[in-house]
Amino acid sequence: MTTATVTVTIHEAPDVIQPRQHGKPGGLLRYCNFVTALILGIVLAALAYWITGMFTTGEALNANFVPIGINVQITAMYVGWVVGFMIGIGAFVGPIRWFLGRDLTHADAEYLAGRGQGRMKFWKYTTDHKIVGIQYLIVSMALLGFGGLLAMLIRTELGVTWAELFNPNFYNSIIGTHGIVMIIAMIVVVSGPLGNFIVPIMVGARDMAFPRLNALSIWLLVAAIPPLASNLALGGLRDGWTVYQPLADQAPVGMIGYQITIITFGFSTAIASVNLMTTIVKMRAKGMTWSRVPIFVYGIFASSLMGLIWFPMYQYSQWFALSDRVINTSFYVPAQGGSVWLYENLFWLLGHPEVYVIVLPGVAALLELMVVFLRKPLFSYKFAVAGIFGIVGLSAVVWVHHMYMTGWAPSSNYPFMLSTEMISIPISFLVLVMLGTMWRARPWTRLPMMAVYAVVWNKVIGGITGVFLSDVPVDQYMHGSMFVVAHFHYMLMGAGLFSAMAAIAYWFPKMTGRYLDNRWGSIGFWVAFGGFQLTFLSMFAAGLQGMPRRVLQFDSLFNVSNWISTIGAYIIGIGMLIFLAAVINSWRSGEIAPANPYGAKTLEAQVPTPVPPENFAVLPVITSDPYGYGSPDPYELEDEARRAALEGGEPAKVGAS
Amino acid sequence: MSVTEPLSPTTGEPVSVVASRNRLGVWFIIISCTTGSLSLLISYSYLWSLNVNSAWAPPNNAWATLWPFWAIFVGEILAGLAMRWGWKGMEKGDRGRMLAGSLISSLLLIAAFVGQVAQIMTFPFGPSDGAYASVTFWFALSNAGWVLLSSFLAFGIFNRTLAGKITATNASHAGLVAMWLVWLAGVAFIGAICTTTMQESPNTNSPDFGNFQEP
Repeated sequence: MTTATVTVTIHEAPDVIQPRQHGKPGGLLRYCNFVTALILGIVLAALAYWITGMFTTGEALNANFVPIGINVQITAMYVGWVVGFMIGIGAFVGPIRWFLGRDLTHADAEYLAGRGQGRMKFWKYTTDHKIVGIQYLIVSMALLGFGGLLAMLIRTELGVTWAELFNPNFYNSIIGTHGIVMIIAMIVVVSGPLGNFIVPIMVGARDMAFPRLNALSIWLLVAAIPPLASNLALGGLRDGWTVYQPLADQAPVGMIGYQITIITFGFSTAIASVNLMTTIVKMRAKGMTWSRVPIFVYGIFASSLMGLIWFPMYQYSQWFALSDRVINTSFYVPAQGGSVWLYENLFWLLGHPEVYVIVLPGVAALLELMVVFLRKPLFSYKFAVAGIFGIVGLSAVVWVHHMYMTGWAPSSNYPFMLSTEMISIPISFLVLVMLGTMWRARPWTRLPMMAVYAVVWNKVIGGITGVFLSDVPVDQYMHGSMFVVAHFHYMLMGAGLFSAMAAIAYWFPKMTGRYLDNRWGSIGFWVAFGGFQLTFLSMFAAGLQGMPRRVLQFDSLFNVSNWISTIGAYIIGIGMLIFLAAVINSWRSGEIAPANPYGAKTLEAQVPTPVPPENFAVLPVITSDPYGYGSPDPYELEDEARRAALEGGEPAKVGAS
Repeated sequence: MSVTEPLSPTTGEPVSVVASRNRLGVWFIIISCTTGSLSLLISYSYLWSLNVNSAWAPPNNAWATLWPFWAIFVGEILAGLAMRWGWKGMEKGDRGRMLAGSLISSLLLIAAFVGQVAQIMTFPFGPSDGAYASVTFWFALSNAGWVLLSSFLAFGIFNRTLAGKITATNASHAGLVAMWLVWLAGVAFIGAICTTTMQESPNTNSPDFGNFQEP
């Protein structure tokens, strides 16, 4: 991407008429941080629990014969936690200041952006998109660690075929919690850290469109986690991450933690999506037309768009579930006119697009980075954009394939089978663009590039098995089996997580100023990749043999495949720990990286590292697309020479410059 | 860009640039809120059409009185119009109109909120009295929440106008709130239309699961 002369200069504070400064810059936010948030959250949670306890009795039952009183108390406790935490972190200061007409001054904005606060800025309601990106990175890694630990427990239980380590309820709770923790982690692992840190710079902006909403989105995510984690102590989450009705309505109060988490996370996602999309649409550098926008930005935009449109459906499904428990409504209670299919529809209206919310940013990141390591333009940029938006469009009409076997509207199964199979077309566009870009290229074998090969492999396996599962007749046999579990892990982990690892490795130098240790990072990556194949190829076998999912006792017929899967899972764990160690070690004492370590042409590679507070000393003007590598392509010249030789009868001149 | 256009104190950009960004952000928020409200609409029409266990209708067919839905809708429409009238006046430099418009808007929204709460308190059914009762409660509850939020915004505009923050060259916040109020009225309209036109379920042959007893 070529940049040209300056057209816009930074407006420093003295040039602009400032509102009156009330007190020190930052005002109340000077006293708000993670500790005050924690304290206020806990205090308000305890207060809410205690006060509601005075007004509720333990006798009244809801339609599913669950005591309403304790449900009300636990709900109040979680709401108290979220509200208290957000007050303590300072989330309400902005709206109140707006209401009172006390607008931010430049000095306030500088304070909020974390200037001069050292490491404390990571623990505060900081608005700088780079800080928020790092916060997202830490939170998503913590979530992945927690979810991964639960995965280890699951595989240990299934691998120890001669004994029962957990009771069935706790085992099912681990499964459900692992599922939803990983889903949340995967939704944010690319869009959070890289969407926030990299995208604004990549489009030539000084910050996100709404810096305070940016801080709000990350802290809402942080507030959402404890209710989910605490479910394990409150009876658990025994119904899988889908928490189907009426099981969820009859479940212990730990279920309320799930519901509060999804509702809170829904706000976080919507706010983050609005912010990212507005930044991309409105804050692109001059000259960055839609045909010059880096493909990674398209991936983030598409993912945000799907989250924005579909997540509220999931959020409302949980609002209704919570109100069925707490105020005894009957959305999902058939005896009182409700329908469990209503839940399934609302749930899967997000539930399936969410796969693309997870996968698209990662795959777009691979498309972005592979051109750098192949030193070639992206093969058919427009084809890739069409693929991304084809997925967005079709993702709206595929949700019923999760409900083939539920008995809901059987006549709709075949149209949805068709639409699901159709979505493999735009997905294939992206794989073809990858393959086309690789064609006859000379790769620079660094970890991010090597991950592209790994992800193509995983995505092809996940995609092909997905086509099988989208077929109604095959799904009748495979539904609810370990085959399904293996399939979606190939998509979500195989394509999603491995892409995220590649993307983080690629932009690590920009975020931290240091290279990610290529040797140990690669060792960790490939160990995890090998373990992954062992775990999930073997799981396909178990599924084909007929092993159902979500059971901890099974026939000895499945022992061997489960032993292999468990060994594979431990290998994944070892690989991930090596990768994590490489990340931590590189962050602390890795080799110092230059501003543009891989010679990329996108804007984020053109700014210094560490990135200055306002990203650009002067705003850039874009004069070309971001993929002008090796132009003209030497292979094209070679082909032209051969063609000319054939047509003109002259000897071919190969190896053109 | 006008020569006298003020600059944002925090970013140094012309306020029209910030306003344009804010407008798009509010549009995106409206899209997100609309799909959320669509969930409610789907729930209403789905449960209405199924009439599961013949339990759509409330006991004794005691449907909600309809006029409050429409009265609240009209209140919200008027609140939006008042805010828009004030905003347009402010753009012409008429601060008095902005103050009057935002104050009328705030009062109408507070009245709508009070009306909504009163309606909820006087429904002839409880939330557990069948599917209609559940969804209607939710229509009313969610509208009450939206109206409360909107009255905060409208009163904030009044307060900011008093404080001199809303000016002829920087009135975009009032425009955004007016835009938001149109959406608010739209959602109230959907609730009013649903409850008015879809009462008795068309499904008279619904599946019957019987009555359940405590185990």
